[in-house]
Amino acid sequence: MAIKVFFSILLLIIVQSCGQENHVRTYRLPKPEKSSQKQKVETPTSGFSWEKPENWIPSAGSNMRLASFDVPFSDAKGDLSLIKLSGTGGDLESNINRWRGQLGLASQSLSEMKKNITTKEGKLGKYQLIKLFNNQSNSAFLCAIMPVGSQTLFVKLSGGLTGIQESETDFISFCSSIDFLE
Amino acid sequence: MNKIANFFKHPKIFVITIIWMMVLVVLGTIEQKHFGLFAVQERYFSSWVIWFSLFPMPGGRLTLIIMLINLSFFFFNKSIWKLKKLGIVVLHFGGILLLVGGGLTAMFSSEGNMVIEEGDKSNHIEDYHYMELAIINTSAVDFDEFTIFDQPLLIKNNILTHENLNFEIEILNYLENCELDKRTSSPAIQYKGMLKNFMLKELKPEKEDNWNRPGIIYKISNSGTSTDGMYGIFLGQPVVQTISVNDNNYTIVLRRKRTYLPFSIGLIDFKKILHPGTDIPKSYSSDIILTENRAVRKILIQMNKPLRHKGYTFFQSSFIEGPDGETTVLAVVKNYGRLFPYISSIIMCVGLLFHMFQKLPGLFRKSREKIAV
Repeated sequence: MAIKVFFSILLLIIVQSCGQENHVRTYRLPKPEKSSQKQKVETPTSGFSWEKPENWIPSAGSNMRLASFDVPFSDAKGDLSLIKLSGTGGDLESNINRWRGQLGLASQSLSEMKKNITTKEGKLGKYQLIKLFNNQSNSAFLCAIMPVGSQTLFVKLSGGLTGIQESETDFISFCSSIDFLE
Repeated sequence: MNKIANFFKHPKIFVITIIWMMVLVVLGTIEQKHFGLFAVQERYFSSWVIWFSLFPMPGGRLTLIIMLINLSFFFFNKSIWKLKKLGIVVLHFGGILLLVGGGLTAMFSSEGNMVIEEGDKSNHIEDYHYMELAIINTSAVDFDEFTIFDQPLLIKNNILTHENLNFEIEILNYLENCELDKRTSSPAIQYKGMLKNFMLKELKPEKEDNWNRPGIIYKISNSGTSTDGMYGIFLGQPVVQTISVNDNNYTIVLRRKRTYLPFSIGLIDFKKILHPGTDIPKSYSSDIILTENRAVRKILIQMNKPLRHKGYTFFQSSFIEGPDGETTVLAVVKNYGRLFPYISSIIMCVGLLFHMFQKLPGLFRKSREKIAV
């Protein structure tokens, strides 16, 4: 009798250890804190500093640019440029229509554009954030115009529709972090 | 039943199983050089059956089970329950305890590592060997909902479904080791995501499995949206794949299997002490903060002085030096059977001592008789 009991227990243990684990699990976790995304503080020689996400890669750009980055998307990569122009660099309507033309979109009046413009606050003060999408050609821009005293900074991210949507939060964080180099 | 009992309690069974374990140890030691430690451990010691070409032989697990049965049957002998056999009984009991502890470790233990940068914190352990496919619904405001499919499910042609997901994932290929290659021409198939511009090129698996970079090619279907299509994913992908299905946003990640802890560990400072006059590290230590239910405790984890908390043991394993600071790597183990080797060794020693002291008077007497003769 004792032997039978012993064998039964042993068989149970063996079957338990061989048995299929539940290989599908579900759980919920609080959203990760935004600050957990590491940001690098950069202090180039342009007179400005900023914080960019780690996965943005500095690229060659052009002489006109203060900074230039390749921004990886899930399906491609985008190009981000930061340039500085004297004065206002042209009025808001002409700048936006210039970008619309680059995307193959028709010009608009300022009142029509307003739905794509929001005002954000950064270390240099208030700036305009402009989103432009061309669904037919799957191309888009995210642009920021920052008045800085007698000059204006222009930040432009170009890419596909998906990539621009994925990168909007990082773009806004980058623009808001731009500050004078102390 | 008596015939079975008589077979299993024969002392020869113990001798055969011990010899076979020695053979497995030798084979495992030799093969470990070519196939790596983990692969050899899985093949020889964690298996029930080992196939040598077409011939099946008992694996380590089966051999030790037979050894345990053999030792257990010793206690069914009525003749051993005498005071003069006490040492032998205790010794056998210690041996059984050692095997039971090994069984608990094999069935219930887990190990991994925790990598924490200075100033950062972590609340999860990552497995050394196993992967998981995580589908994360990020639609809710204050939480993310995770649906995890473990590595045994990530096999070719397997279809993954769950009530949390309003689509299916079919695994088209699981690559044990791969690298990313840029496409030089447009693909014939309408790929989505990363696969539009890149492809996953299969590589020969490395000797140590944690040097591999696994990848999956999969198909999303039955979402009823344009999200359906073929995608690719690999371990450590810098930009994660996101999809949107019927107002739900998902992130899809292939990552090392995670175990989330009921507490978090933050690294304040990592210290490295060098041998004087050299660049050779003498010791490492991590100044950490353990946060649990808003209670905060400062602790120092050093080499040979691990942190033990809630059944987990955190060892100072190694570190990574970077331009922005140092990162500590803690080896984390949860082992329900960790005390069994100590307890069983002490019991076996006690058994041997009992047996020795019981036998000694008889040995002295025989020796005196021989001298007298």
